[in-house]
Amino acid sequence: MKEAYRANEAFIEIEDLAFSYKRSPVILNNVNISFYKSEITAIIGPNGSGKTTLGKLMSGILSSDQGSVFLEGTNIKGITLGNIGKKVGYLFQQPERQLFNPTVKEEIGFAHLFMGEPKDKVEKKVSKIIEELSLQGLENSSPYQISRGERQRVALAAILINEPSFLILDEPTTGLDMVRKEKLSEILKRFQQQNIGMVIISHDKSFIKSNADRIVEVSGGEVNEV
Amino acid sequence: MKFDPRTKLIMVFSFSTLAVFVIDIYLLLVVLLISIIVSNYFKEDWDFLKRAKKYITLLMGIVLIQSIFSPAGEILLSINKITILTTGGLAKGIRVILRMLIIIISATIMKGSSPREIIQALIQWKVPYEIAFMVSLSIRFIPILGEEAKDAFTAIQLRGIEIDKLSLGKRFKIYSYMFMPVLSGVIHRAKELSTSLEARAFRAYPDRTSYIKLELSKKDYLIMLASLLFTVLIFGIYIIMG
Repeated sequence: MKEAYRANEAFIEIEDLAFSYKRSPVILNNVNISFYKSEITAIIGPNGSGKTTLGKLMSGILSSDQGSVFLEGTNIKGITLGNIGKKVGYLFQQPERQLFNPTVKEEIGFAHLFMGEPKDKVEKKVSKIIEELSLQGLENSSPYQISRGERQRVALAAILINEPSFLILDEPTTGLDMVRKEKLSEILKRFQQQNIGMVIISHDKSFIKSNADRIVEVSGGEVNEV
Repeated sequence: MKFDPRTKLIMVFSFSTLAVFVIDIYLLLVVLLISIIVSNYFKEDWDFLKRAKKYITLLMGIVLIQSIFSPAGEILLSINKITILTTGGLAKGIRVILRMLIIIISATIMKGSSPREIIQALIQWKVPYEIAFMVSLSIRFIPILGEEAKDAFTAIQLRGIEIDKLSLGKRFKIYSYMFMPVLSGVIHRAKELSTSLEARAFRAYPDRTSYIKLELSKKDYLIMLASLLFTVLIFGIYIIMG
């Protein structure tokens, strides 16, 4: 544990990080960067540069070969994925990989019900989030039989029920048309007002331009401010 | 030394056949030992064994379940008149584990051959191309499925569920949730694959020509013969032992 975490300090701090996949060259090397709750940071870079890998390292999905990732001042290696999930929400590039239930309603409340929270309390939270993310009318639909944009919002809703302080969104605009992108922008702005920090991993220049406060580029194993 | 995939297939077939039919624990141990030596000769990495450490509890569970539901021989452990461990049950459990190990380890022999070579081997054995292609697809998709299952497991935990703190029953229940995204991924992939196969005129002509041609060498014939002799020998000993 580093010094006690203070609100104005980096929420996620990366120090001297290096990472390579098994039998592959080093994908990230000597990375030093901080992410704050007060801003939306976009991570850009060419295909295969390590953007998603960086996101996965930040959320503890992957473990670094060298260096450390600190979450609110605590080394992420010492925190379980379950505890990380209570603070950091991770939206996968393919949202269908994080959907486990037959209906949208069950999907959103699943983790809380599973951990033994009272049903009426969970239902209240689910209704609130459904309204917040404009998912009304889809409560009893299968998460696999709705549009990609809706599916992504369901995955987001399922993350948000944990009231995370920080979100990592991997390519959130893939397959979305202009109207849905604007809708996503509105949702992200609302999150920012609720003091939820965000990292958006994306190729979508116009989306980044209109949403990000800060842009960092991953290229050749390095991460640099743009 | 490079071997023909057909030679390797014969070896895998020999080991797995013995694993299924032989009941004697000592003979199963011999088969396991030989399969380890052969797999090691092909210099396959043993990383999967390190990963398998996580499944030791599951293996122990299998032994226990076998012992509880098929008690035989002397009682080794009983709690409140319920027989937990018997000599016969324990033997059955060990047998199951040995069989699983033989099948898994012998399958690693194939790891060095590319899916394309395996298809070609099956085609040259007169297996219809469609069937050979399906076999190769299944081999190619196993790692992808593994990756998807891993992602689903991670995603479940990131929902705030602390697996380590769950009871065994709840832990099994959480694993069952993983089927949904993995199954959906499989169906989606199968649909995409069938469309692309149609688009590329799969089976448009009755005959196919092949760029690759596999040739069996002397050493291949020798190894094949040795594998078959080994199978016959173990079976012979097993039958003589009664």
